[in-house]
Amino acid sequence: MRGLIFLILVSSNNIFSILEIEILKGSDNLSKIAFIPFGIEKNIDEKYGDQVSSLIEKNMVLFGEFENLNKNEMLSFPSTEEDFYYRDWKIMGVDYSVIGRINSVNALGNLNISYSLFNINRRIKILDGEIVGNENNIEGIAKIISNRIYEKITGLRGIFDTKLAYVVNSNSKTYQICVSDIDGQNEKILFSSPSPIMSPDWSPDRKKIAYVSFENGFAEIFIQDLISGERESINALGMTNSAPVWSPDGKSLALVVSFSGNPDIFSYSLNTKRLNRLTNHYGIDTEPSWSPDSKKMIFTSDRSGSPQLYEINVQSKRKKRLTKDGSYNARGKYFPDGKSIFFVHGNNGNFQIATKKLSGRFISTLTSTSLDESPTISPNGNIIIYATKKDENGYLAGLTLNGKSRFALPLKNGSVREPAWSPLLK
Amino acid sequence: MMNRVLTSFNTFALILLFLSFVFSVFSIKTLKVNNTQSMKVNFFELSEITETQKRLPRAKPIEKIKEAGLIKTKEINQLEASLDVEKYKISKPDIKKELSKIKLSKERTEILKISSIIQDKISSVWIKPNSLSKMLTAKVLINLAPSGEILNYELVEPSNDRIFDNSVLTAMNKISFLEEIIGIERGIFESNFRNFKLVFKSSGEIE
Repeated sequence: MRGLIFLILVSSNNIFSILEIEILKGSDNLSKIAFIPFGIEKNIDEKYGDQVSSLIEKNMVLFGEFENLNKNEMLSFPSTEEDFYYRDWKIMGVDYSVIGRINSVNALGNLNISYSLFNINRRIKILDGEIVGNENNIEGIAKIISNRIYEKITGLRGIFDTKLAYVVNSNSKTYQICVSDIDGQNEKILFSSPSPIMSPDWSPDRKKIAYVSFENGFAEIFIQDLISGERESINALGMTNSAPVWSPDGKSLALVVSFSGNPDIFSYSLNTKRLNRLTNHYGIDTEPSWSPDSKKMIFTSDRSGSPQLYEINVQSKRKKRLTKDGSYNARGKYFPDGKSIFFVHGNNGNFQIATKKLSGRFISTLTSTSLDESPTISPNGNIIIYATKKDENGYLAGLTLNGKSRFALPLKNGSVREPAWSPLLK
Repeated sequence: MMNRVLTSFNTFALILLFLSFVFSVFSIKTLKVNNTQSMKVNFFELSEITETQKRLPRAKPIEKIKEAGLIKTKEINQLEASLDVEKYKISKPDIKKELSKIKLSKERTEILKISSIIQDKISSVWIKPNSLSKMLTAKVLINLAPSGEILNYELVEPSNDRIFDNSVLTAMNKISFLEEIIGIERGIFESNFRNFKLVFKSSGEIE
């Protein structure tokens, strides 16, 4: 009996004293994916096989989140699970492989595309999918497949079918508000004016965009329908209105109204068309932005003597100062989880994108350029795109929040400012 | 008869005890424990050492020199001031203690060294998912052969975040050998690395 107790003591001691090694840091490497050309049926144009896999590849590597394996390095081109051998990809250092097949559905050009995703290291198939679409919409099909693959690998929502709105100032006399895919393709000019345009923002249903236009000689808020192109002014009180931001529940707009030159934050109900005053201070209160639950707002105010970020509870109107570091913190927005914020942080004449946990004390800067402004975040919370300048030319740049990737979006003719990332399609 | 056997056995045991004592004393004497060495290894335990030294009788090497009249008193005082004799005084029980401490700290250093190599190796293959503001922990129990081969691993405490756990298992799949443990003392291996845990953590900070 004593022996038994002793044995238990010894073994329990052993369990408790087992060595634990902590792994906090991950690799700086990216996951490597092989996008293998899709197999095709005999009566389909051969080009589709390569086209679909190339489009998926282009999407997946767009923001530098993944590395791809060059086609000329591939040892085989399997299109079915039976022909797929893990070792062919393991020796190429591949983490994931995508294969697929395209079949014809009918003579109208409808295609049936099936695809699979393999985790090479774990030697398991992690995704199987099938999609039917028309050959005229290959890009759209590739975006849907890309989203599914992205979600399976990262656990985050795919964003390849989201859009960007931004202001282009092609020369000093023309201002345009444009919408494009996130890779800059399929750009459409929504509105063009010789007077300045500012602050585009998406409605949560992605059907409308609100912005400020000076076409009538003063700052006026317009809501424009993306499909019909119809514009509606919500110049509610006939004074200077600016910085419209849609609430995530779609019911109201946060905006700035200036009474006798003093800007304050209001919420404007889109149903009742009524204004609700949220701040009343002789300092400048501007740049409101809603929390994901539509209950709070973040705004910039110089009430302390320098621009700083504050949070206000929309119901109780109770305010809380959020930033104290440095003499300039503005353009604040919430992360999609509502737990952190990102903003423009000014320090010694440098303006950089920074983040802060709402529960934390410290801020951390993400960018190393010096004239960064108006950051916008991807709806999955993983990528920030912001406007920056090089030789007086504004362009859009971005980064992934794991710090592994930085990129610049293709340059356009003219200065690009104020990007606004669309919500996800519901 | 029985008594005689017992007596002779006792005598033999006594002699053996005596011999082992002499041997141990002798062997300790021949082992040159450098003062600075013991100080260096145990610098974090300095306070303890000074405590035990306070109880020891004061050494008198310089007094002996004084008696011999080899050096003038003034010079002796200077010498005494420059040399903190008390600090470097170590007695025999201390040497034993120091020896075991050195052995322990050597073992500790070895474990820490190998642990950090393993840490770097796992870090280099773990592609950490962007878990945003989630704080996650997953523990993997590893069963290692003395050759460094990973015989078995098991996600004993999953984080229950599918993507995080998957990233951990993917990283574990990339490694089949921890050859760093080859050549370490068998005792250290058995008690520390035969079975050990890797604790994968996400701090929840934006990186």
